Amino acid sequence: MHYSRVLVPIFAVLLIMVSAGFISAEVAPRERCLHCHGNRSVISSGKGYLYIDPHKFTATTHSRIGCSSCHDSVTSRHPADALRPSRASCKECHLPVVREYLGGIHAEKAACPDCHNPHTVRPAEVVSGADMNVQCARCHDNAGIIKKHGHWLPQAQLHITALPCITCHTGSQQYVINLYIQSRHGDKPRDGYAPATHDELAALVRPGVPVSRVIDADGDGVVSLEELRTFHRNAATRGMRLWGMMMPEKITHTYRILKNRWDCTFCHASGSKALQTSYLAIPDQDGRSIRIPVEKGAVLDLLYGTPDFYMMGTSRSSTLSIIGLAIVACGAMVPLFHGTLRFLTRKKRKDTPHGAA
Amino acid sequence: MAQHDKIYLNPTPIRIWHWLNALGIVTLTLTGIQIRWPEFLNIFGAYKAAVSLHNTAGIVVSISYLLWMAYYIFVAGTLLKIYVPTAEDLKHGLLRQAIFYFFFYFFGKPNPHTPTPDNKFNPLQKVTYLMIMFLLLPLVIISGFLIMNIGPLREVIIAVGGLKLLDGFHYLIACCFTAFLFIHVYLATLGHTPFAHTKSMWTGWEEEDKP
Ligand code: HEC
Ligand code: HEC
Ligand code: HEC
Ligand code: HEC
Ligand code: HEC
Ligand code: HEM
Repeated sequence: MHYSRVLVPIFAVLLIMVSAGFISAEVAPRERCLHCHGNRSVISSGKGYLYIDPHKFTATTHSRIGCSSCHDSVTSRHPADALRPSRASCKECHLPVVREYLGGIHAEKAACPDCHNPHTVRPAEVVSGADMNVQCARCHDNAGIIKKHGHWLPQAQLHITALPCITCHTGSQQYVINLYIQSRHGDKPRDGYAPATHDELAALVRPGVPVSRVIDADGDGVVSLEELRTFHRNAATRGMRLWGMMMPEKITHTYRILKNRWDCTFCHASGSKALQTSYLAIPDQDGRSIRIPVEKGAVLDLLYGTPDFYMMGTSRSSTLSIIGLAIVACGAMVPLFHGTLRFLTRKKRKDTPHGAA
Repeated sequence: MAQHDKIYLNPTPIRIWHWLNALGIVTLTLTGIQIRWPEFLNIFGAYKAAVSLHNTAGIVVSISYLLWMAYYIFVAGTLLKIYVPTAEDLKHGLLRQAIFYFFFYFFGKPNPHTPTPDNKFNPLQKVTYLMIMFLLLPLVIISGFLIMNIGPLREVIIAVGGLKLLDGFHYLIACCFTAFLFIHVYLATLGHTPFAHTKSMWTGWEEEDKP
């Protein structure tokens, strides 16, 4: 996680606020704002866009700087003054990100608030892969994207559900595997799986116990192979499974069509040392996904790692490779062994015929 | 010198099947190696090319398998007779044939089995081919078909233990095929000339040796 991305802007804002004397002026506490904007009745009044979910807002980093830092022209008479409060522009605090983004191919296609609602933003490491793709799906219809990518990408649907778009379309780096718990929605097998919610998982543990105990049974903050195995054993009967996604750790906004993503071996050839690092991501009440480290090499493990996750060429099991090669070697020994004896005894068969292969 | 009799051992559909199948299996093996170890081996250029070729070869092998099955069941009607070993085969034939290959053969003793169109395999061949054609080939085809359609067939994949297990299974069977291939091609050279059996798989006619 790159705290500088969050902390530097916060300090910048504080500095601006102090130097401009805002802090002493009319700082409206956010409770006052949320008294109206956090009230669900604004939705029913037909002005749903005015609604700010207090829960989600409080969970954001932005909540630390407060409403009026960004809406600084809001007056004490608002809304009676009929003035539309100002809205901060992201670049006031996130200049490096803005610069980076404007250099990419997407600069003209969408602005920061098209992907990020300033009232629900979260640091990247608590955003699940599926949620990241929801941001893109607002404009890029998922079915259409799968169809287009399917022209060149084998198993396009599978790829799109196991990768956030930004893994291929930005220069984001340092890939790890995040494991998400999914649950079946509906009774029929066809209904498919969706990310399990906090409440669904909470129902599986005793009240008051952290939901991560669903898998991390001993609560030591690390998921061991043993714990993964226990979860698998019970998962199917609960209508659950683990879903792996390949996530970048270091997020950048350098939007591009990366040429090397045409080449499957960019991901499918890193050998068995790659992807040693994986996390289990558990949703919390605020929709964030909190990561717990998983024992190293879990995704490479045939039986205890996630059984439904496999990256051809990359997460192959080396034990299995060796067993397979041993089988082939046994086969190759027969001609070698028999052929040698056959050569040494060739005189004995001078004119006797033989048959059958 | 021995005199040569010719018998028609391998009918045309079987010969077509056999070589289509051989080409398919060899392609599958080579592409399969690249798919599993792309960083060590690159025969077909792009990884994607290896994957699509593997998929295509898999379909060819599956279709030719149906051809083989259809011919033996519906046209010749000899599938079980040719491929299923008899009780006698299992009790004595198997051992006799193995002892021949690994012992008497070296001393120039004659093969205890003489192929005829209705009894063309020796007991060892019967057992091996039975395993290959009735167990391993169907299993590798089914697992391959599942892996080709992970999205739509996810439920089935989970039911059989998950993608990883399925893939490992597919890989191990493929290794068995490769092992079989070494032995099979080698034993095919044990005819009265090194290419006699292969020639009969090509022309259909096996030259029988009568001492
Ligand atoms: C008494 C209820 C109430 C309170 C308290 C309140 N607002 Fe509002 N706010 C409104 C209403 C009603 C509107 C819509 C005004 C309109 O459409 O003209 C509005 C509009 C806004 C808008 C403009 C939305 C747009 O159309 O772009 C912003 C920004 C805003 N409020 C921010 C704040 C902030 C920040 C605070 C706290 C300092 C706050 N509000 C406190 C009721 C309130
Ligand atoms: C980090 C800066 C930031 C903070 C903090 C912030 N807002 Fe906003 N707010 C914005 C921006 C930017 C927009 C314009 C969004 C857009 O253009 O889609 C906005 C829009 C709004 C709107 C209009 C509805 C909409 O989504 O366009 C309302 C109402 C509002 N904010 C209320 C609040 C309230 C209430 C708080 C505090 C609880 C708050 N904001 C905190 C940046 C902020
Ligand atoms: C096309 C969509 C898109 C646009 C436009 C976009 N972002 Fe992002 N941004 C993302 C995604 C995806 C993430 C990953 C985390 C997430 O989904 O919230 C992210 C993450 C971030 C983060 C958190 C980084 C971290 O490491 O925790 C910041 C800060 C950020 N964006 C700022 C901006 C700013 C400022 C702009 C405007 C220049 C912007 N973003 C425009 C998609 C976008
Ligand atoms: C506000 C709408 C919007 C959002 C949200 C959005 N995009 Fe786009 N994007 C566009 C438009 C419009 C285009 C141009 C038309 C097209 O190619 O579909 C585009 C084009 C693209 C292109 C192709 C660019 C090119 O030059 O060929 C990529 C790649 C892309 N978007 C990725 C993403 C990703 C990844 C996300 C999510 C992180 C995202 N977009 C979110 C609107 C959006
Ligand atoms: C496996 C890597 C990969 C993933 C994952 C991926 N893309 Fe792409 N995408 C590409 C490549 C490579 C191209 C260029 C293909 C082309 O030009 O035909 C492309 C092209 C595009 C285009 C423009 C091409 C067009 O025909 O319009 C858009 C828009 C796009 N991607 C959006 C997305 C979105 C949204 C997602 C996530 C849902 C996504 N991509 C996921 C690799 C990927
Ligand atoms: C290049 C590789 C191959 C060569 C040179 C070869 C050669 C031969 C020869 C000479 C025969 C006839 C002798 C006999 O009946 O035993 C034969 C038969 C047979 N081969 Fe192969 N073969 C090859 C590949 C394969 C493969 C890959 C398979 C299966 C996966 C296979 C399965 C069989 C079977 C089942 C028969 C018996 C066919 C029948 O008559 O019904 N062969 N092969």
